Amino acid sequence: MTPLLRVQRARSRLLAVLATRAVIGAALATVTALLIALALDALVGLSAPARRLLAVFPWMVGLSVLALLGARAYAAAQRATDESVALWFERRIPSLRYALVTRLSTESDGVARLALDRAIAEAPLEQQVAVAARASLTTPMLALLSALVLLALMPAGAVGRAIAPTPGDALDRPGAAATALRDPLGTIVVRVQPPAYSGLAAESYDDPATVRALAGSRVVVEGLGRDVQLLRDGPPLPAQPVGDRWQLALAVPPRAEALRLSGGGRERVLVIEPIADSVPNVRLNRPARDTVMRVPTGRLVLGASVEDDLGLAEGSFELIISSGDGELYEFRTLRLGLKRFASGNREGSLEGSVMLDSLKLQPGDLIHLRAVATDRNDVTGPGRGASETRTLRVARADEYDSVSVEPAPPSEPEKDALSQRMILQLTRELVARSRRIGTPATTRESRIIAVDQTKLRQRVGQAVFQRLGENEGEHSHFPGDGHAHGQEGPVNPDDILAAAERAANADAARNLDNHGEETPIVAINRPLLEAYNHMWRAATELETGAPNAAIPWMERAIAALQRARAAERIYLRGRPPSVVVDLARVRLAGKNEGDPTVRSARPNADPLRAERLARFDAALSLVTSDAASAADSLLLLRVTLPEAERTAILALDAAATALRQGGDVTLVLANARRALVAQPPRRAPLLGWGH
Amino acid sequence: MAEFVWATAQYDSGDWDSAPMVAPNLIDSVARYTSIDVAPTGVIVPLGSRDLFKYPLVFLTGHLPVRFTEVERRTLREFCRRGGMLFVDDHNHDIDGEFHRTAWEEIAAAVGPLTDLRNDHELYRAFFTFPDGPPTTSHELNGWGDNLVHKQLQAVEQDGRISVLYSSKDYSSEWNYHPDNKRFLSLDNTRFGVNVVVYALTR
Repeated sequence: MTPLLRVQRARSRLLAVLATRAVIGAALATVTALLIALALDALVGLSAPARRLLAVFPWMVGLSVLALLGARAYAAAQRATDESVALWFERRIPSLRYALVTRLSTESDGVARLALDRAIAEAPLEQQVAVAARASLTTPMLALLSALVLLALMPAGAVGRAIAPTPGDALDRPGAAATALRDPLGTIVVRVQPPAYSGLAAESYDDPATVRALAGSRVVVEGLGRDVQLLRDGPPLPAQPVGDRWQLALAVPPRAEALRLSGGGRERVLVIEPIADSVPNVRLNRPARDTVMRVPTGRLVLGASVEDDLGLAEGSFELIISSGDGELYEFRTLRLGLKRFASGNREGSLEGSVMLDSLKLQPGDLIHLRAVATDRNDVTGPGRGASETRTLRVARADEYDSVSVEPAPPSEPEKDALSQRMILQLTRELVARSRRIGTPATTRESRIIAVDQTKLRQRVGQAVFQRLGENEGEHSHFPGDGHAHGQEGPVNPDDILAAAERAANADAARNLDNHGEETPIVAINRPLLEAYNHMWRAATELETGAPNAAIPWMERAIAALQRARAAERIYLRGRPPSVVVDLARVRLAGKNEGDPTVRSARPNADPLRAERLARFDAALSLVTSDAASAADSLLLLRVTLPEAERTAILALDAAATALRQGGDVTLVLANARRALVAQPPRRAPLLGWGH
Repeated sequence: MAEFVWATAQYDSGDWDSAPMVAPNLIDSVARYTSIDVAPTGVIVPLGSRDLFKYPLVFLTGHLPVRFTEVERRTLREFCRRGGMLFVDDHNHDIDGEFHRTAWEEIAAAVGPLTDLRNDHELYRAFFTFPDGPPTTSHELNGWGDNLVHKQLQAVEQDGRISVLYSSKDYSSEWNYHPDNKRFLSLDNTRFGVNVVVYALTR
């Protein structure tokens, strides 16, 4: 091997040593930073968010050191020429007497070269590299090994807490076991295993004040130490020892419950609150509204959409057919369109149809139609959700002029007309870009939208016309029904609308309804008429190329349509006879006597509310002396609150949690008290009275 | 003091006005036996209307299936939470007819499940005393020949008071006559209605 080749190899090895040193240095820095984080956690017990932030600290330190040492190695590699390596050898092997440097810089042949080669061949270049590598790497390696040994000696789970913090690792804190000898309830972890049907993953909570879990879940409360028990009615339930820990396993109670844990001479309250599995949300899309039919024939298309928070099981349509009159009714119940959903399916649709002829409906018969769906809850359910009910009625011959009668089953929703919302949206988009596209283009597009607006207006006009313009056979009139009394001959929508509007604006006292409201026919049509008028104004503005001015009219039209939609339900039957009792004649004229006692009205201030505030104030007095007891008191108060007072419940939860965690709790306590006070006092509806 | 107004619930799905004379008859009885300031006519109040909150007691009856809309359900829930009382009577006098089945479902969904009301509940002592619980009706004894006597009423109780009272005894038929005809009765059969009114106003 030539001297040059030996020097080059030595150079490569020395550079490798530098690179290895950089890696070891980075690893050492990482482990050292990790040990510092562990020491910090052991000393002050870092919270999960703090540990999540700190988890990147060792890696950041390691990468920084690697970058620094790597840069230094790279710079050294750039500087390391064959000559500099040769000089490095010359400094460490004096016997070379600069033979190596001379040999590399001399191209001479002959005796001198042979002498140089001989001197170089005898020099232990490779051994010198090995010695230098050992000297360079031994100390960092030993330091790294020491750090790793120290890391290995840390309690199980402590490193995981620092590297990858997860909920439920509160018990893995270094030094927690020593603390637990004095106070086994100081730190607890609650693990929740949801029921299998839910498909939800298990969850853990560190040191919670309140745990909310799906009804049917299994809850395991865990802590370090011994001799912990659950206090309850009857004998206490001792916790099971598992390794150096204690565990209590229980099912989620049916309503929020305060668990009283006892151990180490103190008690701690933990609230377990069930989360109910929501029943499926069912929406009946078809038929879209209640209907009165003249002839029960044709095909009735049914459609519904369903969704559930965890998973649907099945769905179907339910029809209750009521036949009869007066006091005698017969009922038939049918189920149609049964659909089973695949496991884990949270959304779906139901489709079906029924031939009305096959139901053999008679005049006066009623169909109550709705869609129902069940979920997969096999623990507390199954949850059963139902849509709103549509009422389909077969009109009697004597009702044709008093209710809105349709000649056929409800039609499918119209799909070719743009909705008012879509027209409004298009107009807004046009206004937004009108400055950019210029006036001529804006006017052109505005007129295109005006066509759709007019089409929709005419559709609304037809709907009102169908309701008010029926003019066949004998029919009676009544005030406020929208008919133009005495008007004969051809009728057009505008005339009828004008007549209906006059009727709609007539004196409310003339209306039939005894509740001071309009007749159903006027109530349904008045907002449609308003929408019709607003649409007309909007179309006019669009025609003149002023889309901006059309928008307010469109918004009013939408509001009116919403009101019309709310009036789409048909109240069955008419107005009952009104009897006015002659109170003066019958007052205290009864033959039978009661046994009344003088009663006093309920107190104005809600005593329950006052009691809650008193309990809160009592808990408040404990805050400075015993924060843990104050937190327990707040939790015990929290479980007495009804679900309707959710705001107060959450505020008390937050206050209890803050008290457990320490620090300034003024704000959360103030919020909690405010939430308790915010409940309006219940007042007596009547003053005291007596016989 | 505001006068008491007898309110009949109007709901979407059924024949809510099947017993129109109950209102005047009970108004007559309240005036006849108590000093409660009562309005001479009743009102009809849509169950989904905010007007419901004006009345402490609302009467609901019918033969046909009861299906509340979401608005009706929400309003009724709020009505009961605010201290109102809903008195539901099955005009069919069934055990598990469609009115019964659907009304129970809807009440459970809106307010809470119905449970049997003890026959010594204070409702039966609120004005007149009914030591055996709810008075029987002629329809139970022989009206339709079924001799089916419902021994108890059902109720949803909230905060120690009845928020929904449910009857299968068909008081709707029993009380559905003109109040002037009361003079033919030796014992007024609407007395229990007075108890319901007094209970609703004082608890």
